[in-house]
Amino acid sequence: MEDIILQNISKDFGTFRAVDEVNLTIKSGELFSFLGPSGCGKTTLLRMIAGFETPSEGSIYLGNKDISDLPPYKREVNTIFQNYSLFPHMTLFDNVAFGLKVKKRPKTEIKDRVQEMLKLVKMEDQAAKYPDQISGGQKQRIAIARALINKPRVLLLDEPLAALDLKLRQHMLIELMDIHDAVGITFIYVTHDQGEAMSISDRLAVMNQGKVVQEGPPDDIYERPSSIFSAYFIGETNLITGDVHKVYDDYLELHCPDGTGNILALDSSFHKPVAEQSRITLSLRPEKIAISRHKPRHQDDINIIKGQIEDILYLGSHTQYIVRVGNLKFRVFSQHKRVYFDDKALDWEEDVWLFWHDTDTWLIEDNPFEVLADAELDDSGNLKRYVKRSKI
Amino acid sequence: MKLSRVNLFKGLNLTVFSLVIVFLYIPILILIVFSFNDSRIISGWQGFTLKYYTQLFNNPTIKEAFRNTMLIAGLSTLISTTLGIMTALGLENKRFKARKGLLALIYTPLVIPDILMGVSLALLFNFTRVNTGMVTVLIAHVTFCISYTVIVIQSRLEGFDHSLVEAAADLGAKPHYIFWRIKFPLMLPGIIAAALLAFTLSIDDFIITFFTSGRGFDTLPIYVEGTIRRGTITTINALSTLMIGFTLFLVVVTKRIRKILISAL
Amino acid sequence: MPQSREALQEKRKNLSSWLLSLPTMIWLVCFFLVPYLIVVFYSFLTPDIYDVKFEVSLDAYRQIFTSGYLQPFFLSFKLAIYTVLICLLLGFPVAYYMARASEKLKNTLLILIIIPFWTNLIIRIFSWRIFLSYSGVLNEALMGLGLISQPLEIMRTNLAVILVMVYVYLPYMILPLYSVLEKLDFTLLNAAMDLGANEVKAFFRVTLPLAVEGIFAGTLLVFIPALGAYLIPQLVGNQRSLYVGQVITYKVKNIPRNWPMASALSLTLLLMVAILLLIMYAIYRRHLARRHY
Repeated sequence: MEDIILQNISKDFGTFRAVDEVNLTIKSGELFSFLGPSGCGKTTLLRMIAGFETPSEGSIYLGNKDISDLPPYKREVNTIFQNYSLFPHMTLFDNVAFGLKVKKRPKTEIKDRVQEMLKLVKMEDQAAKYPDQISGGQKQRIAIARALINKPRVLLLDEPLAALDLKLRQHMLIELMDIHDAVGITFIYVTHDQGEAMSISDRLAVMNQGKVVQEGPPDDIYERPSSIFSAYFIGETNLITGDVHKVYDDYLELHCPDGTGNILALDSSFHKPVAEQSRITLSLRPEKIAISRHKPRHQDDINIIKGQIEDILYLGSHTQYIVRVGNLKFRVFSQHKRVYFDDKALDWEEDVWLFWHDTDTWLIEDNPFEVLADAELDDSGNLKRYVKRSKI
Repeated sequence: MKLSRVNLFKGLNLTVFSLVIVFLYIPILILIVFSFNDSRIISGWQGFTLKYYTQLFNNPTIKEAFRNTMLIAGLSTLISTTLGIMTALGLENKRFKARKGLLALIYTPLVIPDILMGVSLALLFNFTRVNTGMVTVLIAHVTFCISYTVIVIQSRLEGFDHSLVEAAADLGAKPHYIFWRIKFPLMLPGIIAAALLAFTLSIDDFIITFFTSGRGFDTLPIYVEGTIRRGTITTINALSTLMIGFTLFLVVVTKRIRKILISAL
Repeated sequence: MPQSREALQEKRKNLSSWLLSLPTMIWLVCFFLVPYLIVVFYSFLTPDIYDVKFEVSLDAYRQIFTSGYLQPFFLSFKLAIYTVLICLLLGFPVAYYMARASEKLKNTLLILIIIPFWTNLIIRIFSWRIFLSYSGVLNEALMGLGLISQPLEIMRTNLAVILVMVYVYLPYMILPLYSVLEKLDFTLLNAAMDLGANEVKAFFRVTLPLAVEGIFAGTLLVFIPALGAYLIPQLVGNQRSLYVGQVITYKVKNIPRNWPMASALSLTLLLMVAILLLIMYAIYRRHLARRHY
């Protein structure tokens, strides 16, 4: 089994650069996603791997074979299209059999393998139907069968769940993961939905404006975003930009920019060395902040600040608060783990205390659109920390 | 889309519509009725007869004109539809260098009165000393049919889902295979529509055929016009009725074909 | 180097487009463009009884402007205008009615309009000859009903020409209008009336502007053929006032032939059509620029 290597891939459409110097290695057998907003280049990248576009610069390798110039019908790569693109004038059987018919396989072989595939996607008894007679979810399964029957090395999925409604999407997501486990080949998945990407991927690449902004396993990207773009694109976060007050051995102190003079502490294992008086940005995820009307006891490694509740969004399993601290607004998610009946819920304009661990924040790049240069990899090739020194 | 309950001037429109339908159909109905009228002059019903129809079938000139019409229509449909398919495919590539010029060349004949095409072709054949006859008529028919076939097929091609071509290529099919197994079958409704249009245009044409046929090669419209002009109208009613019947037949057939094709896909 | 990858693909696509459209291109150049060049060429030659003499002369053009050859042009122009106006007046309500009909009814109505449309032109003209002639059905009916005492002489008049023109070209106006009106969002009328417009105002301010494109298409499809009409004037018109189509045809078909004159007349007609198209195009452009949807 081989890896897919994208080497310095760029794609221009006239003067518009859709993909900008992308370097990536996708490991064989993994489920890798390209995540980003519309227009970020992820679909173009996928189409280049499939062979529908040629890179303006760079090369694509499947293992050690350079496939950049091969037409799509010569690549051992198959694609699931966003609208499934089932052939409307053929039965489902003929659709699935298409790849084998092209290769002129014997009829008996075709029949057996089509049956096998239909069983895999749970559509055995629908072989004689036409695409306009089945639902969206079923069309997608046929598209998968049609692709996998050719035993490709890589399966490309172009926003496969975009055309389905919510419940179906959740169901199909799990089915896709099951199929991936069953078949074992590399899946490359393109989506703009961060929930999908996070739940399904072994690793993912966040893209914006043609560049890969961050690459790694989902939890890495969520907890250790390398840029404001990553931090904001996935989930919600609080960005705290302030000047470094003092740097100590195992922590640093940051002037909280709320205008109240608060000092925040950040544990040293969560940032690279920075100079005093330099400007840095921290990302603090809302679920990490605890909220209470009682001031917690002082602890060395806990940050405590005071604020006033401005907005409340009760969502049953948790409540989202917007809390004003000086001239800053903090977003806080509070899970209702235990509810006591005589508890009075927090109310608008109530004074509250926000507190979090000094290990809960992550220091990020203050220029959201720069591609990272200083990547640190651990032994298994995952990105460890990626902080760029900020200039004074 | 919910239709609003407001239907402006409904009564007025219905009245006009009915009058127009009457206006459109009465002359034709009279024609049909009189084809069975046993009378040499137009007025007065003199009894039912089929003698005009039998005269029709025994008239060798008419039969020859009919054969000529069908021959020309068939050939010109074949040629113009084939050319239409090729050209529509060629025009698919939006960045084709000659696209604008070609489109101008194709659209222009549609906005020019046919008499001009007739005159220009007549002059062409005179200048090149080519004898008018079947070949010149065929050339003329193909020339005016091409614009229509290209446009019909091209407009169908616009709604064509190109991801199907990509999907086929993705699954290993080479361009040749893709065209015959994917593209062509899906183009078929458009191709048939174009062919039908070309056929009808061809069998109906008078003025262009008039200028390019010369003596000795008559099509049905030419024959009918000549007969009307000369005033010997006995069998024309019957012939006209048959042609109207043929039109009805074509309309029904077109609807049927369309239904079959839609359900087949 | 990698740049040429895409350039190569472009070139290949271009080449296949060329190969596919070349036959049609050659055909149309040979049998559409070149003939017009010959027409231009012939318009500057001298006529001969059976053929044409290759001697240059401007007689044809001179005659157009001096010997009353402009009269047919005016006549044809008038005919075209009358035909378009009447077709619009009659066609719009018809198309509107069809567009507002229920889905099932729509199909039937469409077929009703299409059947005469597909019937052969000559037959349709012929049917009117029977209908309108001196001893024809219309006169018989009107006399029988006692409405008139003497048969009307409608045949062989300009009135007959206009009548039959409208008869023949009405579907050409109805169909484009229908196709545009059919796509209209009629709930807009509800909105207009909700905002205070009465029926007439709503029509002129909402329906009509949105139907303009259909009117353009229909006008084009009727006006241009009407300018070059031959058959209808020839079969039902009076032979004293000739239309352009007839004059041109006589110069080509009758002996003595006068091909230079026919050519010159054709080119003049072409010029008229071209001017008309330019005007319509300019109006259309203005319409497009004004609208914001």
